[in-house]
Amino acid sequence: MYGWVGKILKVDLTEGKISMEPTEAYVDEYIGGRGLGVKLIYDNYKPGTGALEPGNPLLFNTGPLSGTAMPGSGRVDVTALSPMSNLRAKSNFGAYWGPELKFNGFDHLLITGKAEKPCYLWIHDGKVEIRPAEHLWGQDTHETQKLIQQELGDPEIKVVCIGPAGENLVRFACLISETGDAAGRTGMGAVMGSKNLKAVAVRGTGSVRVAHPEKFLELSIQVNREVRESPAYQELSTWGVARGVQMMYQMGFFPVGYFEDVCVDEICQKYAAPAYVEQHQLKNVGCFNCPGRCMNFLSVPGLGKGATSCEPFSGFTGAVWNLDMDTFWEATLLVNKLGIDCTETSASIGLLMELFHEGIITEKETDGIPMARGSKEAILTTIRKIAAREGYGELLAQGQKAFASQIGPAAVEKLDLVKGLAPHAYEFRSFHGTALMQAVGHRGDPLPLRGSLLEVDWNHAPEWFQQVAKEQFGSEEAAIPTSYEGKAMSAVISEHLERVPDNLGICKWVYGLFAYQDVNMALRLFNLVTGKDWDMAQLLKVSERVRNLERMFDVRQGLTRKDDDLPKKFFEVPLSRGKFAGEVLDRAKFEKMKDEYYEIRGWNKETGIPTREKLVELGLEAVADEVLN
Amino acid sequence: MLKTLIVDAQKCSGCRSCENYCALKHGGLCNPARGRIHVVKWEQEGIFVPINCRRCEKPACEQVCPKHATYRNFDTGALEVDAARCIGCLNCVSACPFGATFVDPESGEVLKCDLCDGDPTCVKVCPTGALTFEDLSKEAYLKLIACADQIPLLVREAIGRQE
Repeated sequence: MYGWVGKILKVDLTEGKISMEPTEAYVDEYIGGRGLGVKLIYDNYKPGTGALEPGNPLLFNTGPLSGTAMPGSGRVDVTALSPMSNLRAKSNFGAYWGPELKFNGFDHLLITGKAEKPCYLWIHDGKVEIRPAEHLWGQDTHETQKLIQQELGDPEIKVVCIGPAGENLVRFACLISETGDAAGRTGMGAVMGSKNLKAVAVRGTGSVRVAHPEKFLELSIQVNREVRESPAYQELSTWGVARGVQMMYQMGFFPVGYFEDVCVDEICQKYAAPAYVEQHQLKNVGCFNCPGRCMNFLSVPGLGKGATSCEPFSGFTGAVWNLDMDTFWEATLLVNKLGIDCTETSASIGLLMELFHEGIITEKETDGIPMARGSKEAILTTIRKIAAREGYGELLAQGQKAFASQIGPAAVEKLDLVKGLAPHAYEFRSFHGTALMQAVGHRGDPLPLRGSLLEVDWNHAPEWFQQVAKEQFGSEEAAIPTSYEGKAMSAVISEHLERVPDNLGICKWVYGLFAYQDVNMALRLFNLVTGKDWDMAQLLKVSERVRNLERMFDVRQGLTRKDDDLPKKFFEVPLSRGKFAGEVLDRAKFEKMKDEYYEIRGWNKETGIPTREKLVELGLEAVADEVLN
Repeated sequence: MLKTLIVDAQKCSGCRSCENYCALKHGGLCNPARGRIHVVKWEQEGIFVPINCRRCEKPACEQVCPKHATYRNFDTGALEVDAARCIGCLNCVSACPFGATFVDPESGEVLKCDLCDGDPTCVKVCPTGALTFEDLSKEAYLKLIACADQIPLLVREAIGRQE
């Protein structure tokens, strides 16, 4: 095969058994990456298995284009049953680990069971070893990687690992590779920790074969050049997202605090990330084979070095009312070293600050530390206590809901969660397509979706982007943030486009979304690498199949239409200021957007469940038989 | 006019595009381990050093080759390996003071930068300007030396030695 390297590696940690299965049988229907990952989790997860039980399969998925010589080929999709939502987990990380797995001849890695004692996996040139990791247990993510490289005597080994938070089964623990590349969301670190698995180390010297190497080289060099010429790339590769986040605050797309308001003058005016980056940035870094360098590599004397991308720039600033950039950096390094999801952690701290501000909790509930807005002590102590499951961190480590339930109904009222997770911190009251995508979405990730980005772009040049929306989604209204029209179609098309790079194992920010905005190019590269002759319709059909199978996995877990919802705050408390002052979601219109969305999808409007006809059309008859009957 | 490839390690972001595109160009497949350039990385320090043939005036690789398989291509200045003459003794690999002569992990073939016959692919895709291909001039020569001087400093910093 070209593109794919041919094998799915299966490791059963309970039995210490290693087996392999060919990838080929699946690729025409699911391609690879996220898509084939969904198929594998659907087939290998036995309903009723708890997320932290040995039976929960943990999957690493690369695609046919991962590891190839083209921009953005460093991504890996990670899935399992999520301990946060009890639905399918979805996370994705970059850096250099995924290609290295492929150079071993493995497209996917499926881990089941639980080792008796802490262990790590060592995969090298197609060979697999389960090695003891008791000496690594308790080490932070940076140290773990160094120690494994030293132990195995090769600094070029790539490691993805958990930190103390994953070992302690913090439900939103994450996986970390290098200094700050995280499979952040949905608690993959807890799943790995529950298997007594500290790390997966990989090193390979094999090849990804290319069907049309000369043409591929020529086109890939062209893409490399075009990416570098794009203005978004130039901004990202110089500043990372530091200036972009500032713009988002000023636009009112990023909320302040625990979704309390937008455009808070103090945050807008005093946001100091760009100056901080200018002062402490060593360089920008990116992933394997990518000209894009979206991550800031900062070196702050006394605090330390590391790379960071977007989330902490808002998570540890506006979301926790913090303007001190040293605190931001200390918090960022801490979550990365301890291995906890920055988004969920900052939202948890935001919740504590909100509860404290409203007088629902006092410092008594938080081990004597007042959760004052923006308090450095509150931010850093909470991170440490969550990771160690110590004091109030014990409950918070089980999620915001567990903590709020312990406090009482007033605290539960305050919770802003979507399907058990902190929603991405975007302002849904004024960005209605974004709201829809968050509500119905598989995990709810509006921003990487084209339709959501268009609502952001609209603020810069309304007429132009309305025209773009008309061309791409059939309606000018789709670009207007406060409109409810055309959003359902924009959500469906965006979801299909988004899954293309995810299925191919490449970066969705580069293809189809931000820097480069051309999913057609991803298709051309796909055909040149794999030797297939697919058209866009075929590629998007896979996206639709994947979307429906993802949905059916969750339906099998009990998901229905009522779970596709947003916290009630967004329907009740209007924004007090900014360009969109007074905006609040209208319940009836919001539900109507959902109706339209289900209709376009061919799902049952009452239940939000895909219909048998739709599933049969997508070749998912067996799934319909299993779940719908 | 002859040109030379200059490595400015301070600018490198460690993306390894050079390695992978090199393998694609020369071998028709994607495999950084088959690149004729290699990036030595200290990820946690943010220090990355691309290693590429320095095209020495008195090349050790050429001198130690018992079969005269390594020779200079006077059109480009590159040192190339005549695969038909090479017996695979790897003397050239051990002799290179820069570790810039590589071996294909599968075939055992010696991999040496041939400057893509005067139009290096790695330079085309290097996003940071860490790799440039410049006309030989006094300025280029001084830049080459200045960049080379930086490398030991970067390595000392990376491994935490301050002397």
